[in-house]
Amino acid sequence: MDSLKKRTYDVIVIGSGISGGWAAKEFSEKKLKTLVLERGKEVKHIIDYPTTLKEPWEFEHRGEIPREVQEANPIASRCYIFREGAAHFVVKDNEHPYIQEKPFDWIRGYQTGGKSLLWARQTQRWSQFDFDGPQRDNFAVEWPINYNDIAPWYSYVEKFAGITGNKDGLPQLPDGEFLPPHEMSCVEKYFSAQMAKTYKDRPVIIGRAAHITKPEPIHLQQGRGQCLNRNICQRGCPYGGYFSSNASTLPWAAKTGNMTLRPNSVVHSIIYDEKKQRATGVRVFDSETKEIIEFYARVIFVNAAALNTNLILLNSTSNRFPNGLGNDNDLMGKYVAFHNYRATVNAEYDGDLDTTTEGKRPNSCYIPRFRNVYKQETDFLRGYAAGFGAERYHTSADGNAVGEDLKNQLINSKNKWTNWKVGSHMMGETIPKETNFVALDKDQKDPFGMPLLRISVGYDDNDEKMVKDYLEQMTEMFTAAGFKNIRTHDNSKRAPGNDIHEMGGVRMGKDSKTSLLNEWNQLHACKNVFVTDGACMTSTSTQNPSLTYMALTARACDYAVKELKKGNI
Amino acid sequence: MQRREVIKGIALSLGSFVALPAWASSWNTATLGKQYFSSVNTESLLAELVETIIPTTDSLGAKSLNVHLFVQKMITDCYDKNAQANFDTNISAIDPLSVKTFGKIFMDCNPTQRLSILNTLALSTDQDTVKFYKTLRGLTIQGYTSSEYFLTRYSDYEMAPARYLGCVPVKKY
Repeated sequence: MDSLKKRTYDVIVIGSGISGGWAAKEFSEKKLKTLVLERGKEVKHIIDYPTTLKEPWEFEHRGEIPREVQEANPIASRCYIFREGAAHFVVKDNEHPYIQEKPFDWIRGYQTGGKSLLWARQTQRWSQFDFDGPQRDNFAVEWPINYNDIAPWYSYVEKFAGITGNKDGLPQLPDGEFLPPHEMSCVEKYFSAQMAKTYKDRPVIIGRAAHITKPEPIHLQQGRGQCLNRNICQRGCPYGGYFSSNASTLPWAAKTGNMTLRPNSVVHSIIYDEKKQRATGVRVFDSETKEIIEFYARVIFVNAAALNTNLILLNSTSNRFPNGLGNDNDLMGKYVAFHNYRATVNAEYDGDLDTTTEGKRPNSCYIPRFRNVYKQETDFLRGYAAGFGAERYHTSADGNAVGEDLKNQLINSKNKWTNWKVGSHMMGETIPKETNFVALDKDQKDPFGMPLLRISVGYDDNDEKMVKDYLEQMTEMFTAAGFKNIRTHDNSKRAPGNDIHEMGGVRMGKDSKTSLLNEWNQLHACKNVFVTDGACMTSTSTQNPSLTYMALTARACDYAVKELKKGNI
Repeated sequence: MQRREVIKGIALSLGSFVALPAWASSWNTATLGKQYFSSVNTESLLAELVETIIPTTDSLGAKSLNVHLFVQKMITDCYDKNAQANFDTNISAIDPLSVKTFGKIFMDCNPTQRLSILNTLALSTDQDTVKFYKTLRGLTIQGYTSSEYFLTRYSDYEMAPARYLGCVPVKKY
């Protein structure tokens, strides 16, 4: 009995990443005994950031990953984070195998904090135009929530996380609770002004990002300080300058005394009690002791990261739910979508050569979606946002120089600058479809005893048209600004998943016949289980999704606490 | 940090021509691990090659910064078998070329003769030789310009600038 009592909590949160960290914070603050299960190793803030203070010359291969490691890890090696500074935070290919029915780079971070240690930290709100998408354009299903439902929760998480940004007053990209914005470079400002002159609807703004440009008391209380613009965030930040579960929500939850964080805990399935008609706990495979242990709670939050959340729920079978927990309509695992990052445009600018930038900026400029915002106007659905940046570099030596000539050029390179290099990349909305899905393999198991996940997600004709339009429009915009040597590039080999924005499979919706989760992220058919990570997304829009996961999580936690008090769950 | 400061101090007190120990990085023969090159002469020859590409003047050259060890490490760990074999073949061909041209091995050539050998490689009609030369030169530049010595003295590198100014006049150093 003692052991059973020890393994019983008020709430179990599966996953300690960006959304699980929020669930941990919210529940433990409300005095609920909270168990956070993390499948990977423990990574303590600062202590477990082994490379965070390394200078460039201290890396054996100056950042490059040795050939043998690259050859053994083709998937991880395609991720931009997989360099000597942070490779230890990226899951190696053989650690957790999966089946690619179509090419899909599944990039994962199995450790305390998950991918919140590694993310690109861009945090834009959705607008009502984004929530309206599926219904207006007749794909997927209608979102069960509106912008107004989530707006106060955006504010709530922004204040705590610390978001830098400028109040731009754009209906298509609502303002948030911002710390002072980063500056734009001279040529970024110039481009922004040119676009304002040329187009009514293509603002170029400074990005909104989870960096503390000026700490508020709430950040200091977390033990976090001002961002020092090191631009090596993925190694973990000793100052807590950017938001991660490790620096922010998890230590906050730990301080309440109500949270237990259990690393090395691979969740096998959620336990469903047929008599009580509710989930009663989870089965965990302890990757160190190889034991199967059960933990129990009244409420379960699934925040394992989009595809692993699908995997766990599909593997949680019972007489009542033979196809996965809450999967009465057989839609679980389907309607997976992502962001299309395939295309880039680069160019040069010969003006403003007496100016440059100084220091570093962990952020870039942002062009909100301008296609099909107010009405359908192209031959493809939805649209794309774009990143934008302009900076100058020191010139490298000319290609033939050698000996003293080469050395003089290198030693004086501080005084030699290139012209302005400008660049942009697309972030396209993809349309969730039944044919883009994940499913469990019937025979093969992974080293943890879980069925292998079959991933079948690909681009479609809408994506191809959107890439073409992005390249055309950005070329037109760069031309209008007088940029030279414009080069377009479509990296059509870049597989879905490499964007690390995979979403869906356990979508929200109004109707239990056509969706898995209701407007509070509860499984329609099992009300004490909530999903608030990327798996819950009905559609993807173009914004980097993490901020929305955080807001949805805090909102669902608030609801769950109220429902617990009422005895409804 | 303390160790580094001490070594830097010694280096300064002895003048800048002293061959510094491996403080510039973690490269030294102890940490090199497995070595691709079979010939014991390769290391000393490579040291003179990188020194010819970036020589010691009133500042340190590539050899004193152990850039040859970096080149060796990168070829061993990061390049594929074809590139390694091409590197090996071409580096072995340097002394024969030197003997043919100047009647002595590369080590015994004066700086002008050594540069001339490198120019011969650069202008070779054999694409593999040109590839070897470009790899050698590229890695030498990478190793030199990413060293602590270079970054702290000759670049505007800052680990933690704690600022970003978007539009400032170009500085003259």
